[in-house]
Amino acid sequence: MRATYRVLAGLIALGVVAQAAFIAAAWFGVIKDIDDGAVLDKNYEGNLGHALHFIVGEGVIPLLALLLLIVSFFAKVPGGVKWALIVFGVVVLQIALAFLSFGVPGVGALHGINAIALLSVALVAARRAAAPAPASAAAGEPAAEATL
Amino acid sequence: MSGRRRTVIAVAAAVILVAPLAFLWQRSLLPSSMSAMDMGYVDAGGGAAMPAGHHHQERSVSDLAGPRNRPPDFRIELVARKERFDVPGVGQVDGFTLNHRSPGPEIRVREGQLVQVTLVNESVPDGATLHWHGVDLPNAEDGVAGVTQDAVRVGQRFEYRFVAEHPGTYWYHSHQVSHEQVKGGLLGPLVILPRTAGAETDTVALLHSYDKHRTVSGRNGEQHVTAPAGRTVRVRVINTDAGPVRAWVSGASYRIQSVDGRDVHEPGELRDTATLVTAGGRVDLLLTVPSNGAARVGLGGGGVSLVVGPEGTTAPADADPGPTVDLLGYGTPAPLGFDPARASRSFRYDIGRRPGFVAGQPGLFWTINGHLFPDMPMFTVTEGDVVRMTIKNHSGQVHPMHLHGHHVLVLSRNGTAATGSPWWTDSLNVADGESYEVAFVADNPGIWMDHCHNLPHAAQGLVAHLMYTGVSTPYRVGEDHDNEPE
Repeated sequence: MRATYRVLAGLIALGVVAQAAFIAAAWFGVIKDIDDGAVLDKNYEGNLGHALHFIVGEGVIPLLALLLLIVSFFAKVPGGVKWALIVFGVVVLQIALAFLSFGVPGVGALHGINAIALLSVALVAARRAAAPAPASAAAGEPAAEATL
Repeated sequence: MSGRRRTVIAVAAAVILVAPLAFLWQRSLLPSSMSAMDMGYVDAGGGAAMPAGHHHQERSVSDLAGPRNRPPDFRIELVARKERFDVPGVGQVDGFTLNHRSPGPEIRVREGQLVQVTLVNESVPDGATLHWHGVDLPNAEDGVAGVTQDAVRVGQRFEYRFVAEHPGTYWYHSHQVSHEQVKGGLLGPLVILPRTAGAETDTVALLHSYDKHRTVSGRNGEQHVTAPAGRTVRVRVINTDAGPVRAWVSGASYRIQSVDGRDVHEPGELRDTATLVTAGGRVDLLLTVPSNGAARVGLGGGGVSLVVGPEGTTAPADADPGPTVDLLGYGTPAPLGFDPARASRSFRYDIGRRPGFVAGQPGLFWTINGHLFPDMPMFTVTEGDVVRMTIKNHSGQVHPMHLHGHHVLVLSRNGTAATGSPWWTDSLNVADGESYEVAFVADNPGIWMDHCHNLPHAAQGLVAHLMYTGVSTPYRVGEDHDNEPE
C-alpha cells in the first residue's frame, strides 16, 4: 500500500509536468495555425495539446488524487492522509482556478503558480511514502508490503 | 488503535468519499430513449401548469404542420451528402454538402409564397434534418430531430412546407448532431423578399469557418460585389459560426436595416462603428456606393471582406474601428403590438457552470437555473400568454441564446431599458455578466428548443424547451431512435 501511495503521488507529479508540456505545445501550435491563416474565435476548438491538457487536468489527475486519498486511509504512511488531503485540495483549487480564469483571465496566472504547488506537494507525499515506516507501524506489517 | 479498527475506519472513509461520486455518476447516465416532454421539470413561470397528457384538447407536434392542401409556389430539392469538397482559399475540406455545395443553395423566395423544400439524405451517416433558423413557422416544419421529426436516415427524404410570412434574412441548417453537421457545412442562406422589392442591389454574406478558416459565402479572402456609384446596396450578413462576429464598413457610412429578419425602425447613420453579429444571428447592412470608388465591408477580420463598388474598384481595408453600436438605443421607438407589462408568465434562464457529471462524463458543465442536463426547466406556456424571460449569464463565457419559432423583444440589459427601435431577435448575444430581460407573445404552439447556438455548448447540455400546454410529441431522442438534435 505504501508503494501504491508512492506511485500514485509520483504519477500526479508526473501529470503536472505533462500538463505544462501539453499546454505550451498547444499554444505554440495556435501561433503556427494563425501564421497559416487560421482565425482564432469561438469556432476554434483547440488542438491536440489542448485536448490532452483537458483530459489529464479534468480526468486523470483528479482521479489519481482521489485514489491517493483512498489509498492513504490504508497505507499507514506517516502523515499520509494529511498529505493526500493537501494534494486533493490543491487539485480542486487548480480546477477552480481554471474555471474562474475563463471569466477573469488574470486568474490564469494563479493556475500556473498553483501547478508548481501541486507538483511540490505531490513530491512531498511521494517522499513520505518512500521514507522507512516508523517502527511501530513497520512492526505490524509484513516486509513484503513495503515493496508492493 | 487496533489494526481491525483502523481498517474499518479506512473502509468507511473510502465509502464516504466514493459513494456520493458514484451516486452522481449513476444519476447522470442518460436513458437510451427520452422525450423532450420528460427532460427536466415543469416551470410554469407563475401561470397554470397543465402538462401534456392531462389536457382536454391534446395536439401532437406533427399536427402543427404547414399547408399541405395546395401546390407550392416555390420548390427545391436539397440532397445532403458527407463528402470532401473544395473551399476556395482554404483547400479540400471533409464535411457536408447540399446539392454538392457548402453553403447550400441560396433559397430566395417572396413574402406570402408557399415554400416546399425536400431534404434527401444520400450519405450523411448520422441522419440529418433542416431547421429554418429564425423563421417562425409551424412546429412540425422546425426540423429538430427527436422533437419535431425523426432524423432523415440515408436513403430517406422529408418534405418541409411553410408560408414565407416575414420578409428578412434567415438560414437553414441540420439539427441532428448539429455541433458536427453545422460545423461541417450542412447549411445555407434563406432570404424572404418583401412583396414589392426595392431598387437596391441585394447580396448575401454568409459567414462560415471551414477548417479554422473563415469564409464569406463559401470563399476565403476578398470578394467583389458589383454596383454602380450612388447605388444602395443591402448586405445580408449571416453568422453561422459558434461565436459573435464584428462587421464594419470602411469608405462609406451605413445603416442597420434589419436584425434577425425584423426591420429596425428609423435606423441612424453609422460611421467608424462596428456591428456585432450574434452566432446564428443576421444583420442587414445598408450602404451607398461612394462616388469615388468602393466601400468595404469588414467581416470579423481573418482576411474576409466584401468590396462593394463598380468593377475594378477597390477600397481601403480599414481595421475594426473599435466602438460597437448598441442596439438597445439604435433607431427610434415604434408600436410593439403587445404590452410586455401585462405578462402572464415570467421565467428566469440563469446560465451558470459547475463541475459534475453529464451522461456519465465528469467535467465542467453549463447549468440552467442551477441544474445540469437533462434536468432542465420546461418553460410551460399557453397559447396567447405574454411571456417575460430574464436571461442571465454568470458562466464565464458568452452564449448566443436562440429560441425556436418565436422572436423575442429586448426590454432591457443589466437593468437599462431599451430606448431605440423595438429590438426583435431570435439569436441574442448574452455575454458573461450580462442580464437581458426579453418578452414575447406565445403565439406559435408547439415544443420549441431554447438553447445556446454555440452548438458544442448545446451538445454539452445548454438546452431547454419552451412547451405549450396541450401539445405533445411522438418523437424521442436517444440512441434507440438515432435522434440527437445537439
